[in-house]
Amino acid sequence: MTLRGRWILIGVVTVVMAYLALPSFFSDEARASHWWLRRDGMTLGLDLQGGIHWLLRVDADAAVQRELEKIQSSVADEASEAKTQFSGAEIKGDTLIVRGDLAGLRKLIDENTQSVDVDERDGALVLTLKERWKRDAIDRGAATALEVLRKRVDAFGVREPIIAPQGHGRILVQMPGVEDREAAGKLLKSTTFLEFKQVIDAAPSQELLEAKFPKGIPEDQEIVINSTRAGKESEALLVPKKAVLKGDMLEDARMEFDRRNRPIITFQWNSEGAKIFRDFTGANIGHRLAAIIDGKVITAPVIQSKIGRRGEITGDFTREEASNTAIQLRSGALPIPLILEEERAVGPSLGADSIRDGVRASLLGAGLVFVFMGVYYSLTGMFANLALIVNVIILIGLMSATKATMTLPGIAGVVLTVGMAVDSNVIIYERIREELRNGKTARAAIQVGYARSFWTIFDSHVTALLSSIILVMIGRGPVQGFGVTLTIGLVASMFTALVVTRTLMDTIYGPNPERLRI
Amino acid sequence: MELFKTKTHIDFVRQMPFMVAFSVAIIVLSLVSFAVKGFNFSIDFVGGTVIEAQVPAGAGDVDEHRLRDILQKLGQPDATIVRLGAPEEREFRISLRGSQEEDQNLSATILKGLNENLGTEIVAKSVESVGPRVGGELRRAGVMAIVLSWIGILIYVWFRFEWQYAPGAVLALIHDVCFTAGMFSMFGWEFDMNVLAALLVIIGYSMNDTIVIYDRIRETVTTRGTTELESVVNEAINATLSRTVLTSGLTQLVVVAILLVGGPVLRGFALALFIGILVGTYSSIYVASAVLIWLARRYGHPVPAQKPERRTRTSRAAS
Repeated sequence: MTLRGRWILIGVVTVVMAYLALPSFFSDEARASHWWLRRDGMTLGLDLQGGIHWLLRVDADAAVQRELEKIQSSVADEASEAKTQFSGAEIKGDTLIVRGDLAGLRKLIDENTQSVDVDERDGALVLTLKERWKRDAIDRGAATALEVLRKRVDAFGVREPIIAPQGHGRILVQMPGVEDREAAGKLLKSTTFLEFKQVIDAAPSQELLEAKFPKGIPEDQEIVINSTRAGKESEALLVPKKAVLKGDMLEDARMEFDRRNRPIITFQWNSEGAKIFRDFTGANIGHRLAAIIDGKVITAPVIQSKIGRRGEITGDFTREEASNTAIQLRSGALPIPLILEEERAVGPSLGADSIRDGVRASLLGAGLVFVFMGVYYSLTGMFANLALIVNVIILIGLMSATKATMTLPGIAGVVLTVGMAVDSNVIIYERIREELRNGKTARAAIQVGYARSFWTIFDSHVTALLSSIILVMIGRGPVQGFGVTLTIGLVASMFTALVVTRTLMDTIYGPNPERLRI
Repeated sequence: MELFKTKTHIDFVRQMPFMVAFSVAIIVLSLVSFAVKGFNFSIDFVGGTVIEAQVPAGAGDVDEHRLRDILQKLGQPDATIVRLGAPEEREFRISLRGSQEEDQNLSATILKGLNENLGTEIVAKSVESVGPRVGGELRRAGVMAIVLSWIGILIYVWFRFEWQYAPGAVLALIHDVCFTAGMFSMFGWEFDMNVLAALLVIIGYSMNDTIVIYDRIRETVTTRGTTELESVVNEAINATLSRTVLTSGLTQLVVVAILLVGGPVLRGFALALFIGILVGTYSSIYVASAVLIWLARRYGHPVPAQKPERRTRTSRAAS
C-alpha cells in the first residue's frame, strides 16, 4: 500500500472508531438529545454502576413433582373414563405409586403416557419419569419462569435489565441501579397464586369447625382461616383442596378503586376461565366463594349472581398491597420454585469508588509507559505513544459499537493492553537498534526491523488471543468483560504496531533516514 | 537512551541446570502446598456470603472483635471480619465461607442480627452470595480453561515451529501457573475469580516472551546450523534480552500502578500478574530453552525450511 493509502486507512479507522467511542463518554440523556451522538455506547457493569445480579436455578425436584402431579390426575381421569378399577395414586419421592387393577391401568398408561417408565412392585405400579422428560420438564419450567420474571422485573421498573437463560435450567438476572435487595427479593416469590374455592362449611374458629367432624375432615378438603378483615372476627372455612379456578387462567389483573375509594383488585379471565367461572357461579348462587391469594383468604362473599369474564376482589388491603398483588397476579405464578444460586449486590457508592480507583490506576500506568517510551526511544518512542493512543481509541470504539460491558477488571484490561501493545513496538525498535549496531543504514535497519519482527508479533498475538478467548468463554460477569477487552485490545494492537508506527516512520524518516532517532 | 548499549554475552545455557533444579524445587514445593495447604479460595469458588458494610457513626465504637462476638451470637463462629480502609470509615468485610444452599436469606438474617445488636442501621455497600454448586462448577471451569490454553498453545507452537519447541513452551507455562498459584497457596492469599483471570493472562504473556526467543533461535539456526545449538540459543537469548527485560518492565509498570492505586478489588489480580510476569520472563529464558536443547540433543533438530513469505520479505528487505 502506498504511504498515502496507509494514511487514509489510519485516518478513516481512527475517525470512525473515535465516533463510535464517543457515546460512551456521555450520559443516556445526552446521547438522546444530540443528533451527532450515536445511541449505543458501552454499558457499565454492575460492579461499576451498582445493581443486583442473580443466578437462579429451577428446582429440579419440584419440576419432577409438578410433572408427576399432572400424570396423577390424568391417570385418575383415564381410569374413570375407561371404567378401570383405580384405588388411588400417591407421589413418593420422584415416583408415582398407582394402585388398582394393575393390568388394566398399565395398559392405560402405556397407551396414553409416554413420559414414564412403569414398574410393578409390592402390588402397585411404580411410575418414574424418563430422563429425557425430566430434562424437558426442567427446561419448560425455566422457560416459563423466565417469562414470568421478565414481566415482574419490568413491572418493578428496572431500566435495561438482563434476563437470560444460562445453560440447562438456569436463569441470569441483572438489574442495574436496583439497590433495595429486600424489595427485589420479592420478585422471586414463587407463587402469587389466586384461587377460588367454594366454601363447604364455616365456623367462627378452627376448633369449632373441627368439632363438626368427629371422624376428621374429609381427605380432599382443608381448613383455611379468614382473618383478613380488621375488626371483624376471623372465621374458619372448610374448602376443597381442589380449586374451582386458579390464577393461571387470568388474563389481566389490576388495582382500581371502588365507589368508596377503597383499593380493589379487578380481574379478567381468559375464555376458558370465564366459562368455568360462569358455570360455577350460575350453579351456586347463594353459596359462598372464597378468594384465596397465596393461601390467605382475602374475601369470602356470597355469590349474588352469575359472574362471567370480569370480577373484582374487595379485601382489606392497602393501596400498595393491592397494586403489588395485581402485578404479581398479572405476571402469573412461577410454576416451579427458583433457587438463588448466586447473588451479587453492589451499592452505587462502591461502584463509584471502583471507577475512581480503576481510572486512576490506568492513567498512572499508561502515563508511566508513555514517559518511558518517550525518554527511551525519543522521537520514535513518541510514534509508539501515538500508536498506543490510536490503540485505545480503537479498543473503546469497538467495545462501544458492540455494546460491550465495561467492568472493573475490564478497565484494568484496557491499561494492560497498553502495556502489552507497547511490547510489539519494543520488539521492532530493539531489532532496528540491533541492525544499526550491525552496521546497517537507517533505511535498511527500519526495513529489516519490521520485516523480521512481523511473524514474531503475529505468533505472540495469536497465542495471547488463545488464552483471552478462553477467558471470554469460561469467565462470568466482570472477568468475562475483562476477556472481551483483552481480546479486542490484542487485535487493535496488531494494527497499530504494524501499520501506525510504520507509517509514521516512513513519513518522517522515509525521505531522510539519517534523521532516525531511536 | 539505551540500557543495553553493547551486546550482552551471558552464558545462559551454562546456568540452565541450576535454574532448572531451582524451578523443579519450587514446583514440587507448590504441588505439596496445593495438596497440604490447599487454597484460600474466595466465595467465587467454594460458595458463601461476603458483606461489605459501613457502620454508621451513631453505633459507638465498633471493631472486629465486637462484630465477631455478634456473629458468634448469630451462630456464625467461622465468620472472618476484616476492616476496610481507615478506622474512621467504619467499613468492614464479613465473609462466611461455604454452605449457602440451606439458608437462602443468610445475608438478610445476618444484616438484621447486626442491626439489632448494634442498635443501628448498617449500610450494606455490597452483598455477594454464591452457592456451593456454582462455586464447584467455576473451579472445574477454571482448571479446564487453563489446561485448554496449554493444549491450544502446544498445538500452535507445534504447528508454527518444530515439535521439539512445543513441550518446552508448554512446560514453561505450566511452570508459571504452578509457581504463581503456589505462592497464593503457600502464603494463603485469597484466590478469587480475578486471580484465575490473571493466571490466563500470565499464560498469554509468558508465551509472548517464549515466542520471541524461539523465533530468534529458529532464525539463527537457519543461518548457523544446529551443530552448536547451545551457542545458538545463547546468542538468541542475548539478542532478545533487551526486549525481554524492557517489555516485562513496561508491563510491570502498569501492574504496579494497578497494585498501588487500583483499589482492593483488583489487588489479588495485580499481585498474581506481578509474580506471573516475573516468573514468565524467567521461565521463557531458562525453562523453555532448556527443554528445547534437551529435546534437540536427544531427537535432533531439523533445520526448518524457511517460510517462503518470510524469506522473500527478509531477503528483499535486506538487499
